[in-house]
Formats: sequence, C-alpha cells, structure tokens
Amino acid sequence: MTFSYVRRGAIGIALALFSLPNLLSAQATGGSVRGRVTDASAGRGLADVSIVIEGTRLGGVTNGNGEYVINGIPAGNRSLTIRRIGYQPVIRAINVANGASSTVDATLRVSAINLNEVVVTGTGSPTERRKLGTSVASVDSSLISRAQATTVDQAMQGKIPGAQITQNSGSPGGGGISVRLRGVNSFISGSDPLYIVDGVIIDNGSAQLADLGVRSNPQNRLADLNPADIDHIEIIRGAAAAALYGSRANNGVVQIFTRRGTIGKPHYTYTSRFSQSQLREQQPFNFYPYNVAGLPSLRFNYQDNIFRDAPANEQNLTVEGGTDQTRYFASGNFSNEAGILRSTSSRRMGARLNLQQQLSQRLIGNVTANYIQTSNAVQAFGEQNDYGIMGSLFFAPTSVDFRPVNGIYPLPPALGTNPLLAIDRIRNPQQIDRFIGSTKLTFTPFTKLLLDYTIGLDNTGFEQRQFIPRNAVLGTSPLATGRSLSVFSTTRVINQDAVATYTWGPMGSLELKSTGGFNFTDQKVRTTTAQTTGLAPVGELVSAGSAPSAAQTEIELRTVGFYGQQELGWNDKLFLTAAVRYDASSTFAPSERWQAFPKFSAAYVVLDNRPGMLNTLRLRSALGWAGSQPGLVNAYSQYITFAQSPFAGRPGFVNDVIFGNPNLKNERAREWEVGTEVGFLGGRASVDATYYNRLVSDLLFFRPLPTSTGFSRQFFPIGTMSNKGIELLLHTTNFNTKNLEWGSTVTYTRNRNLVESLAIQDFQSAGGYPNRIRAGQPAGVFYGSYAARDCITGALLLDSLSRYRRSNNTADMGTTLAQRQAISNGTCNDSLVKVIGDPNPKWMGSFLNEFTIMKKIRLRALLDGVFGNDIMNLSTRAENAGIASNSKSYERELLPYGDPRKLPPTFNSRTQGIFEYWIEDGSFVKLREVSASYKFDMLPMRKLFADGVDLTLSGRNLYVWTNYSGYDPEINLFGTNAGGRESVQTTAADRGFDFGGYPIPRVWSLSAKVNF
Amino acid sequence: MKMIRNCAMALAAVSLGACSLDLQNPNSPTEGQVTSSPDGVIALATGLQGRFAQSYGNYAYMAGLVTDEFASTSAALISISDAEQGQVAPGTGIAENVFTSEYRTIRTADDLLTGAAALGNNIEPGTVSGLKALAFALKAEALGETLQEYQKLPINTLNVTQPVYVGRAEALAFVRSLLDSAANQIATTPPSTFFNNSILTPGVNLPNMVQIFRARYARIANDDAAALAAANLVGRTGPSALSQLTFPSPAVNFYNNVTGGTNGIAPRRLFRQSMLPQDLRASYFVVASTTLTGRLVTPLDTWNRYGSPQAPLPVYYPDEALLIKAEALANQNNLAASQAALDSVRTDCTGGRGLDDPKACLPALSDQLAKDQLIAEIYLQRRYELFGTGLRWEDSRRRNLVRGPVSAPSLPSDAQRCWLPYAIGDRNANPNVPADPVEPTSFPSGCPL
Repeated sequence: MTFSYVRRGAIGIALALFSLPNLLSAQATGGSVRGRVTDASAGRGLADVSIVIEGTRLGGVTNGNGEYVINGIPAGNRSLTIRRIGYQPVIRAINVANGASSTVDATLRVSAINLNEVVVTGTGSPTERRKLGTSVASVDSSLISRAQATTVDQAMQGKIPGAQITQNSGSPGGGGISVRLRGVNSFISGSDPLYIVDGVIIDNGSAQLADLGVRSNPQNRLADLNPADIDHIEIIRGAAAAALYGSRANNGVVQIFTRRGTIGKPHYTYTSRFSQSQLREQQPFNFYPYNVAGLPSLRFNYQDNIFRDAPANEQNLTVEGGTDQTRYFASGNFSNEAGILRSTSSRRMGARLNLQQQLSQRLIGNVTANYIQTSNAVQAFGEQNDYGIMGSLFFAPTSVDFRPVNGIYPLPPALGTNPLLAIDRIRNPQQIDRFIGSTKLTFTPFTKLLLDYTIGLDNTGFEQRQFIPRNAVLGTSPLATGRSLSVFSTTRVINQDAVATYTWGPMGSLELKSTGGFNFTDQKVRTTTAQTTGLAPVGELVSAGSAPSAAQTEIELRTVGFYGQQELGWNDKLFLTAAVRYDASSTFAPSERWQAFPKFSAAYVVLDNRPGMLNTLRLRSALGWAGSQPGLVNAYSQYITFAQSPFAGRPGFVNDVIFGNPNLKNERAREWEVGTEVGFLGGRASVDATYYNRLVSDLLFFRPLPTSTGFSRQFFPIGTMSNKGIELLLHTTNFNTKNLEWGSTVTYTRNRNLVESLAIQDFQSAGGYPNRIRAGQPAGVFYGSYAARDCITGALLLDSLSRYRRSNNTADMGTTLAQRQAISNGTCNDSLVKVIGDPNPKWMGSFLNEFTIMKKIRLRALLDGVFGNDIMNLSTRAENAGIASNSKSYERELLPYGDPRKLPPTFNSRTQGIFEYWIEDGSFVKLREVSASYKFDMLPMRKLFADGVDLTLSGRNLYVWTNYSGYDPEINLFGTNAGGRESVQTTAADRGFDFGGYPIPRVWSLSAKVNF
Repeated sequence: MKMIRNCAMALAAVSLGACSLDLQNPNSPTEGQVTSSPDGVIALATGLQGRFAQSYGNYAYMAGLVTDEFASTSAALISISDAEQGQVAPGTGIAENVFTSEYRTIRTADDLLTGAAALGNNIEPGTVSGLKALAFALKAEALGETLQEYQKLPINTLNVTQPVYVGRAEALAFVRSLLDSAANQIATTPPSTFFNNSILTPGVNLPNMVQIFRARYARIANDDAAALAAANLVGRTGPSALSQLTFPSPAVNFYNNVTGGTNGIAPRRLFRQSMLPQDLRASYFVVASTTLTGRLVTPLDTWNRYGSPQAPLPVYYPDEALLIKAEALANQNNLAASQAALDSVRTDCTGGRGLDDPKACLPALSDQLAKDQLIAEIYLQRRYELFGTGLRWEDSRRRNLVRGPVSAPSLPSDAQRCWLPYAIGDRNANPNVPADPVEPTSFPSGCPL
C-alpha cells in the first residue's frame, strides 16, 4: 500500500492525473491488454477513460466507444488502474505474458467524489485528497475550455465556492479581474491570491503606467496566459490550507498546471473561434427636446458613436505526444479582439513548449517555456475626467454637438473631453512581452525518498505609451498642450523551490510522510518614464514635446522560507498533519522578519465508495496561520526616508512626510475550517461543505501621525478583521442513460466580513470616496450623507420646494442639534453622515447544467449570481453634476408644470449632496455561459479528421437579471488596483463603485475544433 | 574535480548573496544616508530653507486673511472667504496647512541639528556652525510664527509620539532661547565662506536675520531692553541688510503661486486707499485696480511686489528693526529718540538706503508726539511697512484691536479673530491637543493668552 503511494507520488509529480496515451509505440517484446469500459448504469461505452499499468509509465485512453488497447507491457503480474473524472476508479489484476493479448473489460460506477485525486498545492508533496484536512477546489481543463473565455480567471467565474471573481471592466483582453477568496482579508496588496504556474510564482500585477483613470481597472497580467494550455487549476482558499506559502498566502493560492503531453504519435488539435461582442444595453440619457428655459434643444446620443459591435477571433494549435522516455506539449495561439468601445482592442500571441524527459532511471526533468506578446489599445476610464471617454460621456450635456467642424472637434463646456475626439485622436497603446519558464528535476534515489527542485522565471516587459494631441483637453493646464508619454517597466520574478519527501510505514497500518522544503522568490520591478507636454502639431513621440521630464523607480522584494511537515496516516482512514513554515521577507524589519506559520489538520474517512444510498463520507478540520506582505508601492515602508526637495536652484532633501516603520512586520491570519464530503444516491450526488473562520490581525495600513511631529502617517498594524463563511459544492448526475446524460453543479458561498477592531479612527477606504473602514462594520461600507427622514413616520423629509433634505447641510437641517431634531420629529437624523450601504454580497451562487445527447450534442448553461450587495452609482450621479444635466431624472425637471412626473427645479443638483440617493441594490444573476456543441463525425468528416469536427455555438454574459440601473452591476471602479497612496489611496475593500467603467459586453462565438 | 569544487563555491556565493534580505531602497535615501554625509546634511539645509519658505508663506497668508490685508479672489473656495470674514472651522485646509508646514520646517531643522552635530570634524567648523545657526534660527521662527496664530503649541516634538502643548509664555521663552543659541553660535564660530556662499540661500544674511528675529520676539515678550539691543544689531545699509528668499525658475514665489486657483487671495483695495495718497508704499506693494473684486465682491488690487513668479520673498523688511526700536524707546519713555527712529521709516525715499524695501517717502512728523500717539503711529507705519509679513495679526492682538467676525460687504479693520482652531491632523492622533480656544464675544478685544 505504502509503496504504491510513493511510487504514484513520484510519478505523480510529473504525471499526476493526466490523461495517458491512446497509442503506443510498438515494442518487440511484452504483451498487450485490450478491452472496453462501460458505464455501469447506462451500459454505454465511456470515452476518455484513462488506464494505467501500475509500476510502469504505460497506459491508454478509451475511444468514443470505450475501447482501449495497450501494447508492450512487460510480462508478469500487473495491476491496471482505470479512472475517469466523475466515476469511481477500478483496479484490476492481470497476468501479462510475452506475445499474448489479454482482455480486461470494466464497468465504472458514477461517483461524484473522488478521494483518490492527487493534490499538489499547499501540501508540500503530491497528496491524495482523502488525506487533506482542508478543502481544495479544482477546475479541470474541460470546464476551462467549455467556458469559451478569453482569460483563465474569466473561465473560473462561477466554478469555485468561496471565490468572488469579478470582472471589473469590460475592456478587451479579459478586462481587469479581481479574485477574492473568502472575502477581503487585507487592505493592502490587492487581496488577490498568489498565482503559481507549474510551480513558478508569477506576477499578476495590474500596473497602470500612464494615467488611464488612476484607480480604474487595468488588465491583470494573468490575462497573458492562454486558457487552452491549461490542464487543471487547484485553488486553496485560505490560511489553513496555505500555511506552507507563509507570508504571502493569506489571500489564498491559485496554482495552474499546464498540459504535459501524452505518450504516442504527435496528436494535433486545432481550435478556431470567431466572436462578436456587443453592448448589452444603452443607458438612458436626457433626450428631452427642450432646455431648462423651455426653448427647443437638440439632443445627441453619443453611445451610438462610442460603442460598436466588435469582432474577435482566436486560433489555437496544439500538438502533443511522446514516448515513455520523452513527452511533449507545444502550442501556438493567436487572438485578436476588438473592444465594444471604438479604438480599443487587445491582441495576444503566444507559444509554449512543455517537455518532460526521463534522464535516468531515477531522474525526471521537466522544462516549460512560454512566450507571450500582448498588445492592447486602451483608453482612459473611471476617474479620468480630463480625457476619459466614459467620464466625458457622463459629464457632457447631451445638448452638445460633438461632431467635428472643419476637422476640429469642439470641446465640452465644463469637464472632460470630446469622446469622439478621444476615440479618433488619443492613443494609449500597450505592449507586453513576457516569458515564463521553468525547469524541474524530480529525483527518487530510492522509492521512499522523493527530491524535487524547481527554478522558474517570469520576465515581463511592459511598454505603455500615451499620445494626447494639443487642444484635446479643456482648460489651461499643460495637458491642454498635448502629452506624449513612454513608460518601460520590467518585472522579473525568480522562484526556486526544493522539496524532499520521505514516506515510510514503521508498523502495520501506520503510514508516515515527512516533508521538508525551501523556497526563495525574488521580484524586481524597474520602471522608466519619459514624458512631455507642449507637443508640436505633428509628431507623437516624447521628442515632439517642449517640456520633457523623466522618472525612474526600482523595487525589489525577496522572500525566503523553510518548511517542514509531518503526516501520519492510520489504516487509510485517519490522517493527521502538522507543519510549520519559517518565513522572511526583505520588506519587513530585520527584527520582525522571521515568522513561523504553523498548521494542523485532521481528516477521517468514514465511508469510501460503499454501495447504497450513502456512499462516501469524510470529515476534516484544519487550523493554520498565514501572512500577507505589503504591495510593491509600499515595499520599502520599513525605511525612514528623505525626499528630494530642491530650493533656490540647489539640490535639497527633506524628511519624507510618510514616516518609515522600523518595526514593520507582516499581517497574520489565523484560520480554522471544518468540512465534509458526502457522496450519496449511489454516487449520483455529492456535497462538499466547508465552514471557515478567519481572523486577520496586525492589518497593515497608514495610521495618522500627529502633524506636530512633522509627519503625516506611517505604515502600521492598525486592526483586526474577520471573515466567516460557508462554502457548498453540490454535484448531481440527474440522468445517465444510453442517450442522455444530464449533470448539474451548484455552488453556494456565504461570507461575513467584519472589521473587528481598529487602533485608529475609522477612515475613508478609497481616498475621496464615501466608503469606510470602520470597526464593527464590514470593510468598505458606504458611509456618507443621506436624505433625512421623519423620525415618526419614516417618510422622506422634503423642503418647501419638495426637495430632499440633505443630512449634512445646515440650510436643510438647521445649524443646531435642536433645530435638526425639530425638523426631524426626533433624534433619528442626529448624525450628519452614517453607514448607507454595504458593497459586500450576502451570498453568491452558481448553477451549471450540462446535457449530452446521443453522445454528439452537448448543451450547457451556467448561471452565476451575486446577491445582497449595494452599488453606488456614481456614473448616473455624474450625469447630474454641474451643467451636465444628462440623466433621465433631469428630464423630469424639464417637464412643464402640471405634469405629474415633474420634479421641482434643482431637485437633481441637490441629490448630488445625498450619497444615499445613489445607492442601488447590486444583486444580479448572469447567464454567464451558454453553449451548444455538435460533433460532426460522419464518415467523410472522419476521413479528414479522425475524431470529426466539434462545432460550438456559445455565448458569454448574454443576459443579466438585475434591478441595477447602470451598464453592469459587476463593473467596479476599484477592482484590481489596490495599494495607491495619498490622493489615490485604494484598498482591497473598495468595491461597488460604478463610475465611468467600461461596460462588460455580451459575447457570441462560434468555434470549431478538430484533431488530426 | 577542482573545477567542480570552484563552480560549487561560486554557485554557493552567488546564491547566498542573492538571498540577502537587507535590500536598500534605491528610490529615496534613508535617514542614515542623509544625516551622516556632509553632502546629505548640506542638502538638508537647502531642504530646510525650502520648507521654511513654504511655512512662512502659509503663516503670512493666513494672518493676512483674518486681518484687513487680504481677501479671497473669485475663484477661491468658500473656506477662504469664510476666513476673510473671521470664520475658520477646525480642519479648514488653509489653517491645517499653517500648522502642518510649520512643524515640517521644525522637524527638518531638528534633522539638520542632528546631522550637523554628527558631522563632527569631517567638515570645517565654520560650516557646522553656520548649519547649526541656520537650524536654530529657522526652527525658532517657525515656532514663533506658530505662537502668533495658535494660543498653545507643542515645542518639544522631536521623537515624541504625542507632543504636549504649552502656553505662550513658555513657548516664547523657548523661541528666544533658540535664537540666542543661533546668535551665540555665530558669535563663537562665524559661519564659513563656504556656508555663506554655497549653503545659505543667496540673498539671505544670517546674522541680520537672527538679530531681527531676536528683536521681534523680545518685543512680543515685552522685553524692551532686549528688543532695542537686538534691533540695533540689525544692519541697515547695503544689499546685505535685506534678507530674501529667491525663486529661480521653475520655482514660484508663494504669493504668486496662490494668486489664482482655489486658494486665491489678493490685497484688499482698502490697504492702498487707507494710505496717504503720496505714500509710495502703495505702488511698491500693489497695482491699483478699480474693477477687481473677490468672491464676496470685496474690492481688490493686484500684487506688484509679487507680480512675477520669480519675485523674491523677504524673510523680513529691515525697517522692522527701526519700528521695533521706536516702540521700545517709546515704552522706555525716550520719546524723541523713538520719534526719530519712526521718522527714519517715514522719510525713507527711493535710493535712500539702496535697498529693495518699502519706502514711504513721507515728510517727517512735525511735532513731537505723546507716547500713546507715538505708539499708534508706529502701528500705523507697521501696517504699511510690513504688509504681507503676517505680523499684522499679532499687532492687532497686542493692541487689543481684535474686532470680531465681519460679514461682507462690510470691510474689516485690524483683525477678525484671535486664534486658529487646533489642527485636526494633530488632534486625530494626539490626545494632548487642548480644546479649541474660545473666541472673545465683545469687541474690540484683546486675546486670552
């Protein structure tokens, strides 16, 4: 028993669970095995079943009829393991004789739970799921490829309980996507999980190197990965599971495994996809044909000019194959996506080679190399009010004619630019050149000992340019004379990992596994900026300007960790694990740097695939600690630094007003979780349920310092925050007959976030926005002025002109408390501002249904929903700002008196001062994915392509059920960009602000896949 | 074999080196790097003078706004026009700026003192002495400006997490002792030529500046003898008698910087119109306007003195010494000498002393004035001579002429309030901040000290 685990572990490092060959190079000696695998209840042949000859590297995969053949098996007593996702694996013993062929047929029973699945992430070494005390989510390649998504994180949406995966922007190339595992756990560093690809920590930064709407949502760099290269993804959601990643793991870990290739002749797959994106629906604007003076007024709807139906295409070619010594997977991909907003686009080209070589009996080498080039044409959004397109759309009155006159675009009267000018003339091209590569050596000096070493590199070169012509921006600022900017930034992450695992069974049913490891990560970001204003009439480069300036920054972060882990298994039923990581990062003060992160877990398998109603039952519990580090912007916060301050033409220094913290240490999360996996109804249903409770202490943020010290603030532990919640994953096989399969998956997530304590006063979370970090409230609650209500009746208090009374306005509420209370009929309006909403969802859920009909037609639909969250609609608020008067509700101000819908004059300008007025329910259900596939495998087709042609018609975000009035309830001003300082301060808690974002499109696509 | 061993050693060395977790911040120097090298400390002295220019500007701006000197321009925020009428709410940006910038100057001066002391013998003693005298003088003036706008203030702030506020008497004594340290430093070890030429901002005379600060705070402390003695030590002729901070492009003089925009202020037209028509100081300071009005339709003039972005900002006007001297002599009942000093200010004409300072070019007083009349005339001349230096507010306070809030379109005279509310930026993190001082309710009034 023990030995087989070790052996499987050794191979599993490289092979774990991957599909094995359907063809073998013929060998002169040995015997062969053939057979057919069928579904136990439906009786039909099962495709894609993997058959492995244990103790060898031989195996096969069944064809569409469930048939397989394996040749060249060394003679002797052999054991066959027959596996398929969603089925209970079967082990068969056979005797193989040289030159003989034996037949092994098998029937597999549906089983929604597979406790023998091997997990790598957070476990030190490959470990079967049954032994883990924590829950690990996994997403396999079929779920990713069927999602028809542009990026990996898009493909994960709606698949993982406990994860809030938000597409914050609809810009092409995947938008800016944020992933929150089990809530917001930090105010710094974005709260996004640690991403690892094939053992290499990669950069998922969302650098914004030019002002494209300071805190809006740049593409996150996970977008560079090609979803078609991915074999499967493992997600660990919290400190208990991620303790072995130490001071970076508080936000969870997502590990992506790319495909490894299968033994056999070269096997090519070509996928081609053509898509069309469109704006889901336009926003209503003020199209009333009269102005405030009652005179006729021409109105324009510029959405027709700004948005378009945008085509995209994606081509993917993969080839895989190998012998029992060498396996390879190579891919090339090209995608070109136009954005629904004119002038935006994203293009990605990439190539990958994964190579595995048996170097000697005991040594396996793995090399991966992935080169990506991403080119984006983007525009400014969100907060960018000088040249941002959406901001300009909302802020400019609909009565302004933006069409060019004699080639010159008129500028709007008050704020922003002419959106047509921006589309036509403003350019923000980005080019990303990225290489991700790794080398891994797996050495088994003897069967009980496994040594593993990985070195990886992620090197990203990012060039951002910006060209704003002369007279494209209002006002007299230098920007109005044009700007050209060129920024080069390189991010290099080097990662080294070494792990040793020793497995032994000292007596009877006791099994022990000891693991020790070392990890070193070095991340270096270098940025050089050159920019100028005062552009010449012709020329877009910095050299065309008259006021050039340059800047340069360098940031380096290193993290070192050692860990040890002891696992104990008894009777293959009870599993105990204790581990500790000892971790240090350069960002922390030397005195506080070395921190220990322990974890303890226990699992007990009560039932494992028994027949009957209740088939599988496993109980688990874990307790663990993990940390998080400041993001790059605060990487040097331990140092007391000086800032340049030249005076009278001489170089000068002054003390930086942000005071360093010479005792800086990491945030620390303590998490415990209990959970169970239950399989029932004869394997046709399963539930995976987890309750977790996480407390993060020493939360880092800026505490204010007394200004009499000459400083303003200091990066400091300011408080504690908890996340408690429930995650449920339900799989069912509703129908399983010869011609119809119907399976469903339901996820449910409930998280309660609470800022438990704050050592400083509550503070504005996003600088300049009405949200708060406040003890006793969820992080990022909306906090601001409200419309006063009558304390007795609860009715809105109106002034003499039937307008709302602003809670924080003395003209509306009086200057003294007594006056306020008299107006209010009580004390309910005593406070000037209050908590007015919560952007954190009450719960989230998804519902996936897949039908396979006659083995040829596959239909699937994924509904993905977020419930009970509030959104502050600042986009519509902007429509009412100043002279914009763009909103539908402003139209009602223009109506003639006597019309029952008439609103009193200045009603809308007054609601500007009532933030509560802009809060809306942000609950939504999206038809996230829907697709229909048909396999054309009639004979003429099969002559061309062995497996026929798979045609898929699919849609993404086709429909949204929501009461939210803006473009999309999912877009968020601050999604991927936490970590800004001072006026652009942004925390991971800043959610639910809709302000000039890029609407998320509806996407239709048609794809074809062929194998040859 | 040897090669393998060498390679292994090289690899070990490289990987151990790469494992070092003590990374320097390449973007900004650390405290240790700046305060331990002569170049760093010298740069700190430049930084200090820059911060001083900012805090001095904030102080003078605020004082001018709550007295009869300045009013908000039409583009200004409501908080600026509120202040012009005597209303300053806690947390108002312009008031916070005064406190924050003064204490940044003080902190940088403290850093410079630390750095100068640490230099030891690495640099010539005259340079160290000059650095220390500069730090003492600018720290003292920053604290002195603070005590002219806040009823209580912290004086001990270096490496104190929650500074304690003290009353004016204690703060004033501390300011004067700092200035005495500066004077002693200069007397014991005169600043080196290198200090004067390459560290001190061109146009500033350190000994004169120290003495006029000493005279200023002796006067505020009613120490007539000390005020007179120090005033007599201030040089009166030649370009070195005037100390001013210069703003070579792209730097911009403080007043020019706040002329437009949301913090905009301009001289009240009242300043010019209240003068004798032949007083040349009007055209020295302002360009007459008949049309310019502010946010509250207050009649305004535009700056002449600070019309250019590169116009230098005087640290003091040398005639302040004469006015201090005149007041001290009057208080000592030496009325003739007092009037003579006062007349030398009144009769200062173009070319008279060869300085770019305000020149009244008025006739001498005809008859000997009585003491009260003399004091009143001294304050009148201070109003015109020291326009925009921030001293007007303390003068009003000293003369019990705080006249309370004035609603536009009425025009204020003297000052509209006693003190600024304490800084919210300090209160938010420092439990030692006292309750805001209570403004008087009947006017004209002195101020509770």
